[in-house]
Amino acid sequence: MKSLALKNLRGRPVRTAVLMVLAALLSFTALGGTLTVTSLGKGLDSLEARLGADVMVVPKEATMKKKFEDIVLQGSTGYFYMDSKRAEQVMECEGVGEVSPQFFLASTGSSCCSIPVQIIGFDPDTDFTVSPWIKRTYGGELELYDIVVGSDLNAFVGDKLSFYGVECRVAAKLEKTGTSYDTTVFTNEETIRALIKSSLDKGMNDFQDIDPETSVSCLMINAADGTSPEELVNDINIHVQKVKAFKSGDMISGIAGSLSGVSKMIRMLIAAVWVLGMVILLLAFTMSVNERKKEFAVLRVMGASRGKLAGLVLKEALVCCLGGSLIGAAAGLLVLLPFNGVIEEMLGLPFLLPDGASIAGYAAAAVILAVISGAAAAAVSAWRVSRIDTGLILRGDN
Amino acid sequence: MKRKTIEWIMGILLLACSLCLSVGVKLWFHACGPKEDGSFMTCHWAQQAVLVIGCAMTVISLLALILQNGGMRRGLALAAAPCGIGAALIPNTMIKLCMMTDMHCHAVMKPAVIIAGIAAAVIGVIYAAVCKND
Repeated sequence: MKSLALKNLRGRPVRTAVLMVLAALLSFTALGGTLTVTSLGKGLDSLEARLGADVMVVPKEATMKKKFEDIVLQGSTGYFYMDSKRAEQVMECEGVGEVSPQFFLASTGSSCCSIPVQIIGFDPDTDFTVSPWIKRTYGGELELYDIVVGSDLNAFVGDKLSFYGVECRVAAKLEKTGTSYDTTVFTNEETIRALIKSSLDKGMNDFQDIDPETSVSCLMINAADGTSPEELVNDINIHVQKVKAFKSGDMISGIAGSLSGVSKMIRMLIAAVWVLGMVILLLAFTMSVNERKKEFAVLRVMGASRGKLAGLVLKEALVCCLGGSLIGAAAGLLVLLPFNGVIEEMLGLPFLLPDGASIAGYAAAAVILAVISGAAAAAVSAWRVSRIDTGLILRGDN
Repeated sequence: MKRKTIEWIMGILLLACSLCLSVGVKLWFHACGPKEDGSFMTCHWAQQAVLVIGCAMTVISLLALILQNGGMRRGLALAAAPCGIGAALIPNTMIKLCMMTDMHCHAVMKPAVIIAGIAAAVIGVIYAAVCKND
């Protein structure tokens, strides 16, 4: 009786395979969907943390750029500049606490690939947004021509990268953020000015009437105590001409909106697949029990108790669902972990996978959930089996 | 399941993995395209190397399916295993890929080749283990 469940499963390979595929589908959907939604959420959190300032001030003409939000929020390649006099005017506004300028520059295709890289320069003396992030992986000071590369750049500490003919040394590699900042290069003010100068000397960039020596791309500002970011944004927008101030939170609201839409869609898909899967499993177990009524009746005549018969049906379901859900979870991990870059590109949203322990936890939860669902679907059939009228079935009158 | 059936299934799976490496790397999970000036990036040469190994593995797995001699089939299946591992080691380990890991060669070609290569190696060993000496 102990091995009867396994023998039954082996004896009907097609039925077993179908049930296992259904269980695999359930755990694959649960794990894949949950990991995707969690990674999107983590990506947004990471982007929020990366912004790190209450207010961002950019030249007004930059906001007309098509890719403006991508440049500022996602580290997409592009640049814009404003005269440092305008920056000084902003700094004089009431309620300005910490303030630090940043400089943007897009490289041309470097020696290894044709895709340009966004280079962001910051002032290490005043910076409060990039430095804390860099300090997690690099404790030293950035020297002239030292750069810090995002985690998605195939360059490592000590490597040399050339931008506009200037050879730079990779001083550190950042942790993954799940945003396009992972393909960005960070450096100090001195180095970026040297790169801008080199790009101008080589005629590779055109800044028109702007002098890069006295320009900045944006200002990152924290509001002083007692001033709200909203008040500061209004004050800057009213009192300083030709600049536009944004509250950081408002800037990512568009991304948060898209993310919420995608997450909702994925959750609906998971629910639809689960309902469908449960209905199919329920039907499959019911049909299987119906077609095996005589077999159960014979077992009953041979002395198997009602509980034993119900247990047999449940055991078969548990074995099938456990095997299937393990395969589904493995397939989910095999798709999501190596191909997360493709998923990120397809969604076009910040995407940061959780750590290994969390992923293992989600996989285990998906397997347990699929097994419980399979057992729940089989429980109905098990209950019916335990109530069969042996005499009636063996007489063939059912 | 009969040993013959398992052997046949393993042979087909090995052929599928080999085709993934030879045809797949050219059609589905290819490397990045050429630069604007028409020159290729290093990932293109990694793709070519995988293509050559994939073609050799396709011939090996076809022969393993066709040949009747069990010993030869076992030898061929075993030969596919190091080829699969070799193919899996090519992207970025033996031949550096592009600079940004969100580029096609990193995001698609590398994981696909590693999965297909390791799968081919594992299937090759299992195939050799189940092959019967005739």
